[in-house]
Amino acid sequence: MTNSQQAPGDDAPPPRGKIAERLLPGGEEPDPRFTLANERTFLAWIRTSLALLAGGIAIEAFTSDLFLEPVRKGLAIVLLLLGMLLSAGAALRWLRVERSMRHKAPLPLPLIVPLLAGAGAVAAAVVLVFVLWR
Amino acid sequence: MLALVTASALFLRWLPHHGLPILLLFGVSAGAALAIYLTQRRRYGAKSRGVSREHVDADITAVLWTAFTGIALGVLGIGVVLAG
Repeated sequence: MTNSQQAPGDDAPPPRGKIAERLLPGGEEPDPRFTLANERTFLAWIRTSLALLAGGIAIEAFTSDLFLEPVRKGLAIVLLLLGMLLSAGAALRWLRVERSMRHKAPLPLPLIVPLLAGAGAVAAAVVLVFVLWR
Repeated sequence: MLALVTASALFLRWLPHHGLPILLLFGVSAGAALAIYLTQRRRYGAKSRGVSREHVDADITAVLWTAFTGIALGVLGIGVVLAG
């Protein structure tokens, strides 16, 4: 074997894990740029989720002079639930997009976008009503 | 990772209002940030080798753990708010 020849498997990708085999079955590996872009989008949604989670904790504290306790807790829980839904939704979206790319199928619709927009609008409207009502 | 560190600091900032239970959220988010920091080099190395090989395995474990962290923080946060 000369120096220019490599042993078989030197450049071969490592075998896929069991979780990857189960959740991303079949198809073929997409362009690595698309896989990495999908992961970046997932992380962007996770950042938004963390902001909602931190905001839910904070709003219960710093609105103690503004709202009654049940309203405060309700708002905080809505934000925390939104944050949780966004985390789960981001993972589901990542999975669906990755499966679509593996099977060269059309990308799925981004359902968490209208969900977040709608829930944010409703929460803002509720806060506005309470602020004006005081 | 930085977002988790920022969230940890925010949770700690509200310790006087929420009390000791908020330390659970701080622990989970700071722990997740530390885990990301400690595994960063290995993951980046694998991804950069994958890019040069034109084959990158989707990091499904990292995605699931990160999503689970967000959900766990939400559950703990609801517990802290209801207990307060």
